[in-house]
Amino acid sequence: MSTETAQTTTSTSKDNVVCLVGMPNSGKTTLMNALTGGNFKTANYAGVTVSLLRGRSKPEYGTPRNIVDLPGVHSSVAPSPEEELAVEVIEGRHSKVKPDAFILVADATQLERHLKFGGLVGRQGKPTVIALTMVDLLDRTGQSVNALKLSNALGIPVVPVDPRTGKGVKELFAALDGLSGMLWMGNALAQVSSEPVVAFKQVQELLRRSGAVTRGAQPDSLTSRIDRFVLHRYFGFPVFFLVLISLFAAIFWLAQPFMDLIDGAFAVAASSVTSLAPDSVVMRFLGDGVIAGLGAVAVFFPQIMILFFLMTLLEDSGYLARGATLVDRPLSYLGLHGRSFVPMLSGFACAIPAVFAARAIPARRERLLTIWILPLMSCSARLPVYALLLAALLSGAAWQAGIALAAIYVSSLLIGSLVAGVTARIFMKHRQPSLLAMELPAYRVPRWWPILRMTWARGSAYLKRAGVPIMIVSAVLWLISNFGYVPGAPIASTPMERSFASELGQKIEPVLRPMGADWRVGVGLISAFAAREVFVSSMAIVFHVDSDDEQTQQENLLDQMRTATFPDTGQKIFTPASIIGLVVFFFFSLQCFSTVAVVRKEMNSWKLAGLQLLFYTGLGYSLAVATVQTLRAFGVA
Amino acid sequence: MDPGSRPLTAVALNKRVRIERLDGPHQDCARLLDLGFTPGEEISVTQWAPLGDPLVVRVRGTLLALRKREAAWILVE
Repeated sequence: MSTETAQTTTSTSKDNVVCLVGMPNSGKTTLMNALTGGNFKTANYAGVTVSLLRGRSKPEYGTPRNIVDLPGVHSSVAPSPEEELAVEVIEGRHSKVKPDAFILVADATQLERHLKFGGLVGRQGKPTVIALTMVDLLDRTGQSVNALKLSNALGIPVVPVDPRTGKGVKELFAALDGLSGMLWMGNALAQVSSEPVVAFKQVQELLRRSGAVTRGAQPDSLTSRIDRFVLHRYFGFPVFFLVLISLFAAIFWLAQPFMDLIDGAFAVAASSVTSLAPDSVVMRFLGDGVIAGLGAVAVFFPQIMILFFLMTLLEDSGYLARGATLVDRPLSYLGLHGRSFVPMLSGFACAIPAVFAARAIPARRERLLTIWILPLMSCSARLPVYALLLAALLSGAAWQAGIALAAIYVSSLLIGSLVAGVTARIFMKHRQPSLLAMELPAYRVPRWWPILRMTWARGSAYLKRAGVPIMIVSAVLWLISNFGYVPGAPIASTPMERSFASELGQKIEPVLRPMGADWRVGVGLISAFAAREVFVSSMAIVFHVDSDDEQTQQENLLDQMRTATFPDTGQKIFTPASIIGLVVFFFFSLQCFSTVAVVRKEMNSWKLAGLQLLFYTGLGYSLAVATVQTLRAFGVA
Repeated sequence: MDPGSRPLTAVALNKRVRIERLDGPHQDCARLLDLGFTPGEEISVTQWAPLGDPLVVRVRGTLLALRKREAAWILVE
C-alpha cells in the first residue's frame, strides 16, 4: 500500500494539481463527485491518519486535471487532525501534495464565514476560482447573490454551481483555464487579515461595497421548522431512537440475505477447490485457509456497505449533527463527544468501520476515548458465538436466549459507557475537554448518486485496509491448526489434535482451567482471534463434528458439548458456570487481530493498539475466572 | 466592567443580542472568535437541546451547537 501511495504522490507533484478547499458542509465532496464523475478514491499518507479524496476531472471538462478534495476547515485555531492537514496543504507545507491552483467552495448563504476562510487561500497567491454552492438555498433564506458583482469586487472568478446536478461545472473549469497561463495578479481575498476580528470586518465591508448580496436576514425557515421538531423537548428523543432502530434493523435484517448468499458462495468455492485434490495440502490451504479467510471478510461486506450508506445519507441530509446535539450531554459527561454515537453505533456491526467512523469526531481526545471503548460494543461477529453458547446454556425456549442476548447488547453499551467515564476521569483528567461548536447544516434532500459513490469509496477503503490483515491472520491460523511436529519430519501436515494450535492450546490449558475450559476450548479461543465467529467452526473441528448440513452440524456440536468431559477428572466441561464464563470472556476480550491492526494504523501507535489488546483480553479473562469461581462457590456447577 | 453584560446562556430564546466580549480559556475563545463570534456581532439562541445542553446559536447565517459551558464564555450586551 505504501508503494502505491508513493507512486501516485510523485506522479501528481509534476502535474496540474487542483485542490478543492472550503469549510465543512460547503458541498465540497459533492462537487468532487461532479468534477470527476465519481472517479475518485481515498488516499492515505504515511504518518497521518487522514485520508484525502483524489481523482481526475472528466475529459468533457477540458484538459484532465488531478483533483484533490481536502478536508473541510472550520477554523485553523486548535485544529482537528483533518483541519491541520488541510491547512498544511493550502499553505504549501505538505511534502507530498503541492497545489497548483485552488477551487474555493463557498456556501452562498454564509458568504461572511466562507470568504473569511477564503483569506487563507487568497494569501497563497495561487490561481483561485470560487465555486458558489447552495445557491438553491438562497430562496429559503430570502437572499440573493450576484456572482458577477462579487467577482468584480474580489478580483476572482465566481461561478455559481450546483454540484448535485453538475450545473456550472463546465463554466468553473473554463474560469480556471482562463487563469492558468496568465500571471495571477492578486485579489481582494489576499488582503484579508489572518486576525479574525479584523478579517470579519474586512469581509463584511467588502461584501457591503460590492453590492452583490441583498440580505433578507431571514433564517432558513424549513431548517428552523424541522429543528423545532427533531430537537423538541418531547419529540426529539423518540425521533432519534426511531432513527437508531431503523438503522439497526437495516444493518441486521436487510443485510442477512446477502450475507447468507456470500457465505454460501464462499463455502461452495472453498469445497470445490479442496475437492479438486482432496489429499493435497496446498489445495486444502487454498480452500479452507485462503478462500474461507476471504469469505470471513466478504461476509461482513453487505452489513458494512449498508452501514456506510445510511451514515452518509444521515450526514448529507443534515440529521447526523442534530442526533449528535441530542446526545452530546450524556456522552460529554462520559468524556466522549456528541458525534461519538456514530462510531459506537457502527461498533454494533463491526469495530473496524467504527474505528474509521471515529474520524467524524473532530477532537483528538474524544476520538481517542471513543476508539478505546469500541471493542466493547457487541459486534455482529460475536452473534454466532453467543447463539451457540446460549443454546448450550438455555436448552429450553428460544425467548430465553432472546432476552439473554438483548441483555448482552444493552450491557455492552452500559459497560462501554462506564469504561469511558472511568478512563476519562482517571487517565485523561489532565486533558481539557475540547470545544463542541458543531455546525448544524441546513437540511437538504439527499441525492442518491453522490451518496452511493461515497459509500463505495468508504466500503472499498474498508476492504483494502481490513481485508488484508484478516486474510493473513486466518491463513496463519489455518497453518498452525493443520501442521505440527511429527517425529522424523520437523513440520508436517497433521490432524488438529496434534497441530501447533492444539499444542498451544494444551500449553495454555493450566491458564484456561480456572475459567472452566480445556485445551479444545483454548484452540477455539485462539482461532477466534482471526474473527470471533471462527470460534464456532473450530469448536466443530476439535469436537469432531462431521456434517455437511449446517443445521444438524449445530445440533451435533451441541450434543458433543453436552457430553464433553475433562479427560483427567471426568467432569463435564460445559456447565452453566463455564458457559457463562465464556460469554463473559467474549463480551470483554478484544479477540480480533483485525481491529488491533486497524487501530494501530488509525492512531499510528502500536502502543495504544497493544494496550487495548492486553487490557480487554486481560479484563475478559479475569472477569471470566471471577465469574466461574463465584458461581461455583455459590453451588452453580 | 459593564453591569449590563451577561452570558449567552442567560438570554431568552430567539432574542437578538450583541456580543460584548469572550471570557474563557484562551485557546477555546480564539477558536470561537475564528468561527465568527466576534465582539459587536449579533447572535441569537434558537434552541436548547432536550436535556438542557447544548444550545443552538445562530451566528453569521449558520447554526452552531455550543455546550452550556462554552456559551457561558460569550458575554453579550
